[in-house]
Amino acid sequence: MLKKLLKYEIEATARIFLPMYALLIVFALINKFFIAVNADYLKIPQVISATLFVAIIVGICVMTLVVTIQRYNKNLLSDEGYLSFTLPVKTHTHIDCKMIVSLMWAVLSVLTSLVSILVLAANDKTMVTIQQVFIDCINLLNKVGPGGYMILLESLVLMVIGVLSQVLSIYAAITIGNLSSKHKILLGIGAYLGFGVIEQIITSVLASSFEGTISRYFESLRLAAVSDQVLAAQYVLLALVIYMFVFGAAYYFLTNWLLKKKLNLE
Amino acid sequence: MENILECQNLVKFFPGCLALNSVNLTVPKGRIVGLLGPNGSGKSTMIKLANGLITPTSGKILIDGMEPGIETKKMISYLPERTYLNDWMNVNNMIEFFADFYQDFNKQKAYDMLRRLGVDPSHRLKTMSKGTKEKVQLILVMSREAKLYLLDEPIGGVDPAARDYILDTIISNYSEDATIIISTHLIADVEKVLDEVIFINQGNIVLTSTVDDIREKENKSVDALFREVFKC
Repeated sequence: MLKKLLKYEIEATARIFLPMYALLIVFALINKFFIAVNADYLKIPQVISATLFVAIIVGICVMTLVVTIQRYNKNLLSDEGYLSFTLPVKTHTHIDCKMIVSLMWAVLSVLTSLVSILVLAANDKTMVTIQQVFIDCINLLNKVGPGGYMILLESLVLMVIGVLSQVLSIYAAITIGNLSSKHKILLGIGAYLGFGVIEQIITSVLASSFEGTISRYFESLRLAAVSDQVLAAQYVLLALVIYMFVFGAAYYFLTNWLLKKKLNLE
Repeated sequence: MENILECQNLVKFFPGCLALNSVNLTVPKGRIVGLLGPNGSGKSTMIKLANGLITPTSGKILIDGMEPGIETKKMISYLPERTYLNDWMNVNNMIEFFADFYQDFNKQKAYDMLRRLGVDPSHRLKTMSKGTKEKVQLILVMSREAKLYLLDEPIGGVDPAARDYILDTIISNYSEDATIIISTHLIADVEKVLDEVIFINQGNIVLTSTVDDIREKENKSVDALFREVFKC
């Protein structure tokens, strides 16, 4: 069933994102043209199109967040929820579907923005520079050894888990907001802020209780060999991944429990 | 299991309002039942509880012996009192959607009914009038071969001519062991198709009876009895 839900969720959201992406690439090309021509009498349109290009990138970022919120709220907790929740689908499958599609658009939005900037900036000189940077990175990774690749992988995992955990905290907040019959938005925002406070408290409690250990560890690292430092970085990233994962999982189970046991569609 | 729907001491409390007050009720299989009551009497609440869209405060609601869940959702075809269609789709998309998720959905039936009611399946739902949307929704719901149909105000928004056709389709479409529960206050219109009635008021079941009994014992139509029971 997840596959079918994903199909419709992607269809519903692609209508919004794909035109935005196309527009961004078009504006990248227009800007590229202006830069290539670089004529005085085209200065004003050039500035306008450059501004619009930046505005579209900002717009895509905002849209990614807005669509995440809006799809969850509209498709599950508003009128459409009457259909969504009467489909023979497990509750958590709805969350899985929304979360995966949100992640997908977040990744695609970043990639498209990067591609558009690349399109804009691509000429013989920049291509050489980009190539050089790329080669330097590979060299650096090779010098560090397999640990370097591990760090790269962990960073990617951290980003994915970070996005998912953030998305899930939004879902949990919206779901809590929906428990109120009158002040849904207010309670939702309150819940979201509350989550932030709880995360802060847990983080500072953990940090202060291990303060001595942590600072001694980093102190000892200063004199340690490079390989030990690389290993330390891996541990730190792993700890962050676990940390994010624990919060994400908590939001996931909270949302699922609320949708299953406390659902109250108007 | 002879009863398709069973409520055991079912209570639903909304902030500031008791929507269902310890309801005990059984609905046998293979009947067309009218769930009748004035506005705000708890009709929609009961239907939403059966669909798992809201959760009971206490007590139980069982569908074919099971609490609302994935198995009961497979057998219930539900028409809510509001439009739940994804407005970016057209009717064809919606039919695909239903066929994708419900194994008991009969596409042919849906297209036949659309043709009869003059709805163009390539039209987008966004551009349709409220009444047309309601028709589409009812067609989708009735094109399933479900065990239990829960129709919440199915004819409220459509014109009288379409009403007759819709009621005809409801009776002619349903199979022997399927049950239909129709909630409405337009009693005169649905009376002729009902086998049984449940009168509900302020969260309490006031009366359950077969339509024949009402006609024979009380010598009244359901509509007349309703007006008497719920006299303001």
